[in-house]
Amino acid sequence: MEELQDASIHHMTAKVIAAIKNTKSYEPIYKELQKLVCNPTVDTHDMRNTLEDAIKSAGLETEIRNIVFNLVRTRLSKTDDKNLANKQGAKPTVSDPLGYLKRAGVLWDRRVRKSLNAMCTELKVPLHGQPRISADREDFMAKWNELSNYNMDLANYRPVYAPKDLLEVLLSLKGPAKTTENTDQIPQWEFSHIALPVKNLFELRAHYADLLRSDSYLGVPDLTIQCQRILEGRHAPMCQQFLKKGCTPAPYRGALWASVLDSKLHDYDIEYWQKLRNAVWTTDHIVDKLVFKDIQLTASNDDQYFVFEDVLYQVLLCFSRDTDIGGCVEYEAFPVKGKTYEGPPSGVVPFHGICMFAAPFCYLYDSPVNLYYTFRAFYIRYCHRLTTINTHPQGIVSLCLLFEKLLQTYEPQLWSHFRELQIQPLRVVFKWLMRAFSGHLPPDQLLVLWDLILGFDSLEILPLFAIIILSFRKESIMQVASLDSIEAILADLSSIKVLPLVQLALSRD
Amino acid sequence: MAVVWDMSQWTQAWRTDSLQPTVRSSGTRTTTSGTAMYGRTAGGANQSVTNGTSNGGANSGGGVSGGAQGHDKLKIGFCTDLDKSVLVNNFEKRGWHQVNGDDDWHFYWAGVQTCRNIFSVDSGYRMHDNQMINHFPNHYELSRKDLLVKNIKRYRKDLERDGNPLAEKTESNNSSGTRYLYLDFVPTTFVLPADYNMFVEEYRKFPLSTWIMKPCGKSQGAGIFLINKLSKLKKWSREAKGPFHPQIAKESYVISRYIDNPLLIGGKKFDLRLYVLVASFRPLKAYLFKQGFCRFCTVKYDTSVTELDNMYVHLTNVSVQKHGGEYNTLHGGKWSVQNLALYLEGTRGKEVTDRLFGAISWLIVHSLRAVAPVMASDRHCFECYGYDIIIDNALKPWLVEVNASPSLTSTTVNDRILKYKLIDNILSVVLPPDGVPDVRWNKVPSADALGNFELLIDEELAAQDEQHQNSSSNTHSKTSKMGSRWK
Repeated sequence: MEELQDASIHHMTAKVIAAIKNTKSYEPIYKELQKLVCNPTVDTHDMRNTLEDAIKSAGLETEIRNIVFNLVRTRLSKTDDKNLANKQGAKPTVSDPLGYLKRAGVLWDRRVRKSLNAMCTELKVPLHGQPRISADREDFMAKWNELSNYNMDLANYRPVYAPKDLLEVLLSLKGPAKTTENTDQIPQWEFSHIALPVKNLFELRAHYADLLRSDSYLGVPDLTIQCQRILEGRHAPMCQQFLKKGCTPAPYRGALWASVLDSKLHDYDIEYWQKLRNAVWTTDHIVDKLVFKDIQLTASNDDQYFVFEDVLYQVLLCFSRDTDIGGCVEYEAFPVKGKTYEGPPSGVVPFHGICMFAAPFCYLYDSPVNLYYTFRAFYIRYCHRLTTINTHPQGIVSLCLLFEKLLQTYEPQLWSHFRELQIQPLRVVFKWLMRAFSGHLPPDQLLVLWDLILGFDSLEILPLFAIIILSFRKESIMQVASLDSIEAILADLSSIKVLPLVQLALSRD
Repeated sequence: MAVVWDMSQWTQAWRTDSLQPTVRSSGTRTTTSGTAMYGRTAGGANQSVTNGTSNGGANSGGGVSGGAQGHDKLKIGFCTDLDKSVLVNNFEKRGWHQVNGDDDWHFYWAGVQTCRNIFSVDSGYRMHDNQMINHFPNHYELSRKDLLVKNIKRYRKDLERDGNPLAEKTESNNSSGTRYLYLDFVPTTFVLPADYNMFVEEYRKFPLSTWIMKPCGKSQGAGIFLINKLSKLKKWSREAKGPFHPQIAKESYVISRYIDNPLLIGGKKFDLRLYVLVASFRPLKAYLFKQGFCRFCTVKYDTSVTELDNMYVHLTNVSVQKHGGEYNTLHGGKWSVQNLALYLEGTRGKEVTDRLFGAISWLIVHSLRAVAPVMASDRHCFECYGYDIIIDNALKPWLVEVNASPSLTSTTVNDRILKYKLIDNILSVVLPPDGVPDVRWNKVPSADALGNFELLIDEELAAQDEQHQNSSSNTHSKTSKMGSRWK
């Protein structure tokens, strides 16, 4: 047994080392290490120990630890899944009970790209973009910091899709079992037949147990001092642990998030940002119009975010050119016949409200480049799962399912109220889930909610919080009988306080 | 829950003030209350919890109970010169009925002219004890740009003459002159034509700076223009004297150093609109409404000379911005002060944010003290002022002007909610607990009645607290009582 464990550690180490070599940070760290070897404290006779000491005292050890922490969290687990899937069989179609879901995921992605392609054809613009004519390029560069003053005709552009489009697809998902059963028995408007494992409240309590603990780290009661010390230590897992409290002091949030998401700026990041910016300046791409359109439809009209309009243009335009994103996000892989379509350079087709994922970061970072990398990391790790159909335990399908099961189990009265009214409860909360509440909660509360997403590394807080709000406004909801009235009751979340409500819900028997 | 506003910053500033001795003890006050200044949790459960403990203390001194029985069945008549729904809805919610100015009214929301007429000797009108009106007769000491500057200059001189440490001066960092260390909160300003020579002297010291000309008596951005060359001013002055503009010749102007390094957010310039309620000038009792907002220009800030005449760049008045092509009717260019605080804490840190908001309270209190001696502090009056403040890029606030009749027009849904709440809270602060106007009331509202207002200063309470502390060695109960007042 021990040997087996040993072997698995060796296997893991080998994988981590291989992965590190593929990261952008490998080269700077290697150079740093070379410098350390020349350090007078490193003794050739006791190379191993003295070099290790030198690595520790130079702070390089923490950096390497953080890289490993992040690799294990992201890339390695992904390749593991893939390997596993490959081993299970070359033809997952037959055996995979979730095959239909994966298929739906591929089809959804294809449909979105097809829409984009159709838009290109209709408007007679090339999908790959075209070089900006020099006058336009100069205008664009001159107005880079005030793109709200950049004029273009957007009348023919519409968002490729909106939350309700995805919702309709989700609600129409049919499992393979459906055909054999008597369809009259199963309510048409439910969702719960999908065979994905989701947590129950008991398991959620266990997952979020740290939220109810009142102990302080480091024996210091003052949050600010705790936070400063943790940031000095630079350990990503410690930063993540701190976010679990849900009471992050605002001045440190930006640094904590960047640490957890491994998005602290390096020289090569700044160079890359400039490269992206140049790509925006030199080529005119259809997604630019979609980005402008989206910001104008959402953030520019939002009284919480309109002041950041110009920052958001920069961030989302660069985002659209970032080819690294395509390599990081997980798409469902499933063999489906039919034509495939190309997407924008980033692989992400802008949809109605995509800028609201970036908008809250404006309260954390002053410079667009800082904002960009943390937003990008957050998007890759979390937001992307909210806009694609996938089987991930934190994908939108699982979150919807979790929402329905929680509602059914813990708010049966509301559940049957919705049922009597023939309203799918999901319709009421889907926009919250898909946008992770951005634009719905006021920023100070939204940031607390996102602290919890990062701290517990899970999107499951979204359906849980949706239930909490329904539960909180239950009395009013029970008194009305139409979708419009229910939506009116839930429209204004400005009085909602995240932390006390979540704590209450988790502690209640 | 997060405490947004740590009072220790501004209480520290207060400590330099020998005229305000009570504040020294406020260090013992707990700062963990939910009713933090500019706290994003205005209202809410936390507040009522703290209120519960402090109510007794705040109410016990009131001499209201006796009077209240007398007019138990009094039907309250209100009168308003402004037909605004935020006003009328609030009055009617309280069961008041509308009457004419000639009838027996108890509460008058008047225009400034009506107010002046009522108080003028010629009118022969004498108010009785159960009447209140929303202006002080000579509010212009604060709201006229030239008088405000005059009063502040006099206030500083008086303090300086008395050797008050508040009036301490320091070498100015960019000129040969000196500036006040604690009372430098209005941009250098001169009245034209009277101070023309003084202005020219100052202008020569800083030939590169831009100046802003404003007519003294106008509001909402009317008649304002920028000047960066003396020749332009001379030209204007020649034209004004000419036969075509007789109205300009009569009018006086103020010329102020233009804040050319404003704090920009998202590249855009903004100013702050804060609401300050004064229930009495002598003793000074003033409250700050926590839900102020930032007003943004719709156009990018640009100091280039070509933009000097584009007033959309420079003026943040909604009435000016509304005519700009890019005015957004959903948010109206208004951004809450809570969001400003969140943004500044997140991007600049807590200390500087606290210092900024502390400096803002400081500026308001001292502008009010500057006019207090000359104000006719009639017991029937209260007034809600709109303070316009610009923050520069060193996060220093500058008082631009004070409006005695801040707009009650709602530009957006949120604006309407805010203004409705403002009027509601004003009424509950200035009226005795039984809701019947009564000038004999001691004007000590309960913590509950404050709503979204917070106490800026109450000289009477402060003096009482000082007395208590001097007369009693058992300060424990006293400090806790006072603490609640400062929340």
